[in-house]
Amino acid sequence: MSDIIEVKNLSFGYKQKSILKDLSLEVKQGIFVGIVGPNGVGKTTLLNLLCGLLEPKAGSIKIDAVDIKSFSVRELAQKIAVVRQEFVPVFDFTVTQTVSMARTPYLGTFGFMDKTDRQIVNEALKATDTTQFGSRALGSLSGGERQRVFIARALAQKTPILLLDEPTNFLDLKHQVNIYDLLKAAQHEQGKTIIAVTHDINLAAQYCDEILFLASESSYRYGCTKDVLSVEQIKNVFDINIFSGKVDKEYFFIPLGKFAKDSGKANQIQDKS
Amino acid sequence: MTEILTVKKLSIKVVICLSVLAVVMCICTLSGTQKISLMKVIDGPGQKPGDNIDYEIFIGYRLPRVVLAVLVGAALACSGVVLQAILRNPLADPYILGISSGAGLGAIIAIISGITWNFWAGSPLAIFAFAGSLITVWLVWSIGHFAGRSQVTSLLLAGVVVNAFFSAVIMFLTSIAKSEQLRSIIYWLMGNITDKSSPVLLACSVCIIAGIICLFSISNKLNIITLGEYEAKGLGVDTEKTKILAFIVTAFITSIAVSLSGLIGFVGLIVPHAVRLVFGPDHRQLLPLSAIIGGIFLVIADTIARTIFGQEQLPVGVITAIAGGPFFLILLARYTKKVSWLK
Repeated sequence: MSDIIEVKNLSFGYKQKSILKDLSLEVKQGIFVGIVGPNGVGKTTLLNLLCGLLEPKAGSIKIDAVDIKSFSVRELAQKIAVVRQEFVPVFDFTVTQTVSMARTPYLGTFGFMDKTDRQIVNEALKATDTTQFGSRALGSLSGGERQRVFIARALAQKTPILLLDEPTNFLDLKHQVNIYDLLKAAQHEQGKTIIAVTHDINLAAQYCDEILFLASESSYRYGCTKDVLSVEQIKNVFDINIFSGKVDKEYFFIPLGKFAKDSGKANQIQDKS
Repeated sequence: MTEILTVKKLSIKVVICLSVLAVVMCICTLSGTQKISLMKVIDGPGQKPGDNIDYEIFIGYRLPRVVLAVLVGAALACSGVVLQAILRNPLADPYILGISSGAGLGAIIAIISGITWNFWAGSPLAIFAFAGSLITVWLVWSIGHFAGRSQVTSLLLAGVVVNAFFSAVIMFLTSIAKSEQLRSIIYWLMGNITDKSSPVLLACSVCIIAGIICLFSISNKLNIITLGEYEAKGLGVDTEKTKILAFIVTAFITSIAVSLSGLIGFVGLIVPHAVRLVFGPDHRQLLPLSAIIGGIFLVIADTIARTIFGQEQLPVGVITAIAGGPFFLILLARYTKKVSWLK
């Protein structure tokens, strides 16, 4: 499989503050990548660099072996779909109208859709189980429902690459799992390359093929999920105590605070602190 | 608005609204303090001037005024739609970027200084108002652009501050104005549609219609821009280009409208909201329908303004505010009932 995204010696910073330094990675086509790391380490910034919203200070990003700068906004929208966190709609567009906007990069000036476009929109609604909301206003949905609508929009954009910024933020357990199942299905069935920023290490461990662990401005690890998400790594980067276990083939991690009951026993790998 | 907008649905709605506009224009042209009959108007001008008074009133006086009202209403409503979209703020109206105060200042300077020269049949008042509004928009835009990261907020703030400052200057100038100048100042500030010479009217119609067509061509992009800068770029819309184009065109057509008719409030704020409440937020439909309905609204308001007290004419801005406010509240209550506590 070929590399669909190639990042070389990427550096970025806002004014005086440097955020990412000398980051290089190659993402193969059709895999699921999780980006994890502490707050403020530059996860969302990296996502914005990958979709061409921000320009790197140094280094380069290539999509399908072509420099990202040489794409127009429209061309890029045909390659990459983005699902962001925290969205506040200003006007009451309905769910169907919102998902239909995904077709814009393929349509003419006025964006009138033909039969194929409508079918794509309907399929995306179906896949995310949002068809029944079709005529409701976006503002009237709950957080989880709205998030599914935005994933539907990203699917309807029919891009080979899908970027997500904390797709399960504020969602309950059922919806968290639903959304990751949905993404995994899109990866398997449509061969999409998916990159998701997340704080949920357990879901990342379960669903992601590879992990980019951003530890600080200039230190990071990228590789197979099992290698990167190790107890030591998590402990060092987040500076907390952690308990790790295994159910069948899935690893899980539980953070333990100062007041954890009987934490000595629970901690298989105890730390001095 | 569950279904997706198609060319056919849009065309049907536009044609229906245009026919309503035509009927309203016809009725309004025929009504007035001086009764005229349609039959006599159709007879034509007659052999020499004065033969057919009805025709002369119709063509020479009423029709230009009705056309002017339609143009101004359409321009203001369209500008309102576009500014609400690109500023992502439902409270935005055509005057929010300082157009009103800039134009007002220009007009008052023209009135107080008593300039009488005419430029290409345009009165100095209109020309000063036009220049004033364009300069102010440019000023607000540069301050907003210069001021900082959150472009939309700084733009709105710059608009509010410049508006407040110029309003103060306007009040100062009004307070030192001579009493005979005062009346024309107040009438202008309240919005007043009066007769304009036909070359001016023709030139302005061409500009306003061209502007509206231009805005219509970016209406789909406006839909996406309301989602926010990042979202819009992710969906392949070049937000910078679209926004600048939208700003320039709205500033231009609003300035024309303001210089023709003074400050007519409420049309630019209320018509877009009313149309949005009834037809939904899709700008491909919102923009043309707002233009037409804005025209209808202002023609009716102007007809009331010039007929309600016989010979004495009211400033049309008074009518738009008095009639528009309650009408809008009724719409708001009626269309939000389904989803809110009003049940």
